[in-house]
Amino acid sequence: MIISKLKEALICLKAGRVTLPYPFAPHDPEDGFHGRVVVDAEKCVGCGGCAEVCPPRCIEVTDPSPEKRVLEFFLERCTYCARCAEVCPEDAVIVTKEFETATNDLEDMHMRVEVFMSTCRRCGRCYEPPTPLDRMMVTGFRPPTGESEGA
Amino acid sequence: MTSAELIRRRRQDVGPAIESVSEPVPGKVRMAVAPGAVVSVAKALYRDHGARFLVTAGIDSREGGNGFEVDHIFSLDKDKIFFILRTSAAAEEPEVPAITPEVPAAAWAERELQDLLGVRVEGLPDGRRLILPDDWPEGVHPLRKDMKYGDWPPLGDENAEESYPWKQAPEGTSTVVIGPYFPVLEEPTQLRLFVDGERVIDCDYRGFYNHRAIEKMGDSELTYNEIPFVSERICGICGFIHSSCYCETAEEAMGIRAPRRARYIRSLMLEIERIHSHLLWTGIAGHILGFDTVLMQTWRMREPLMWLCEKITGNRQTYGMHIIGGVRRDISEECYPEILAVVGKIEQEWIQFYDAVQGDTTLKARLVGVGMLPEETAKEIAVLGPTARGSNWDIDARADHPYAAYDEVPIRVITHPDCDNWARVVVRLEEVLESVRWVREGLKQMPDGPIMASDIPEEVPAGQWGVCTVEAPRGEAIHYVLTGGDNRPDRWRVRAPTYNNLQALPSMIKGETIADVPIILGSMDPCFSCTERVEVVNVRSGEAERLDYQELLARSRAATERLRGRRGGRPWQ
Ligand code: SF4
Ligand code: SF4
Repeated sequence: MIISKLKEALICLKAGRVTLPYPFAPHDPEDGFHGRVVVDAEKCVGCGGCAEVCPPRCIEVTDPSPEKRVLEFFLERCTYCARCAEVCPEDAVIVTKEFETATNDLEDMHMRVEVFMSTCRRCGRCYEPPTPLDRMMVTGFRPPTGESEGA
Repeated sequence: MTSAELIRRRRQDVGPAIESVSEPVPGKVRMAVAPGAVVSVAKALYRDHGARFLVTAGIDSREGGNGFEVDHIFSLDKDKIFFILRTSAAAEEPEVPAITPEVPAAAWAERELQDLLGVRVEGLPDGRRLILPDDWPEGVHPLRKDMKYGDWPPLGDENAEESYPWKQAPEGTSTVVIGPYFPVLEEPTQLRLFVDGERVIDCDYRGFYNHRAIEKMGDSELTYNEIPFVSERICGICGFIHSSCYCETAEEAMGIRAPRRARYIRSLMLEIERIHSHLLWTGIAGHILGFDTVLMQTWRMREPLMWLCEKITGNRQTYGMHIIGGVRRDISEECYPEILAVVGKIEQEWIQFYDAVQGDTTLKARLVGVGMLPEETAKEIAVLGPTARGSNWDIDARADHPYAAYDEVPIRVITHPDCDNWARVVVRLEEVLESVRWVREGLKQMPDGPIMASDIPEEVPAGQWGVCTVEAPRGEAIHYVLTGGDNRPDRWRVRAPTYNNLQALPSMIKGETIADVPIILGSMDPCFSCTERVEVVNVRSGEAERLDYQELLARSRAATERLRGRRGGRPWQ
């Protein structure tokens, strides 16, 4: 009995103090961590691939006019799976290491990207093959095109 | 026994009643029989072949003109066979005979079938509601296809809760109600203990207060590749087992197989998950016993492993590693030494810890000889995982139905003959060491190659099926997938291990003292929240206002209505 208590005490003593001083000292996650996603509006071509695969469906695509496509990210529902970044053919979705996203204002978790969509009058096709869609890293099953919300 | 032999024997017994037999993958048999023969086949499987009942899946096939289909899934562990016994019921007033009188483990599954699909189970000894809430209207069954996901039926009798047919307390006993909200266990569950003095004579159970309709979502809203991410959220600790199990099952149904490296990564992560889950459990068990040093130390040991998970997968929990056909992220070779170092450190500390608690007489006084679950009872109720192995029953999905990489790197099944709380602790303590061994061995044998299958079909034909089990830290989980049109399963059935283990509680706590109930149940604090009253303090005036049960209920309902209105009835919009 005494011996086991001593052994238990030894385990505690040997461990010493392990609590980190976070948040007073920063504690950065490792590389490859799935933090908040951001979209590089310069690179985005508005293909909607990210919205197609997002499991909680927090990316909405709308076309207010033939020339304009709007992508809205409602990141309060984001599960940090990075599927959007995985499939994006233009590497426009960047997974940052930001994890301190708690907020009182939901607007902080919204992101809106407007993409100018030019259509070729002659062939309706904007790209030489392989198009960004062809290059999309989607493997396997995806929703039938056009099924995602708003698209 | 081979599956061919099993089918032959059944043909001898009930020959003309057999409607069809299919075996798309060797060892996975589905036999459809006429309703009249289902009880005798179930009985023969359970009594003569020692088959273990896993779960029942009801399917609404009225659209295809087949009424309702009811699949009872059995496992012949040592023969590595899954046997699905299918029967059907008419579209109008569906009814099937109960197998529970012959196969006691089917009790909850058949009650669930009545609740969710509205298939009446004739001859069920206890036919009370199991899953549907008390104020759910009669005749509305959420898993039927004509009920859309997000539909909210008008509530039934508002005061139904008071008339729920609880078991009558035996003569001379008092009733102690525990739950539905627990300060320790994060799941809401209600237990009514019937006690004589401080001895528990009997108990009754009501749960499923937090049913999330994940299966319904799976067959009506999600697509094949979205389900892994949702299934992972079935459990907050061992979610990876559900996404693994779903992917393995769906892959089987689609006739593909993940490449070898992907399967090794799956197994590796599953073992890492088992280690951190067992460490977490040990801490909680210590906490319930009032020995918080155990909690502090095991959770300290666990933390580096959580960081490792974050490094490997990008997330500390719910890794999101799976899609059908493989895994999404490879483990780089530079990571191997770190994995070995982290698990090596845990092993070293765990041996020390094991050695220390083994001699702790205070701890053992609370655990040894308490919460007995004899082997026969364990088998009858079909408990799973460490609960079964602590009762000397050597079932383990990793050995019995190897999945992922366990066919190439086998696992040693750990059992303990004592059938008490201590036996279950020892099984878990030793499983940590065994998992560490597997991680080492798995990394050593990890093959190179792709992590995604290349032969994934674009379209999946409807009507194919697969069934797989995965050994979670808490016991075996089973997934059953029937492919459908629309890029989603027609039915996706999940059974988590606690479903079975909870059913063993009444026999485990019978005859014990109330003080031991919390430990036996794993974690349950005897102080329970005031379910009928709540005090609201007005912050500004500092005045206290008391709400009685009815007012509280009315307020909760109003809040629910507000939420529904805002989201248009669909949780994600
Ligand atoms: S990280 Fe996942 S959940 Fe978040 S926006 Fe991207 S796909 Fe959606
Ligand atoms: S997948 Fe990439 S390019 Fe396509 S819409 Fe999304 S962010 Fe833009």
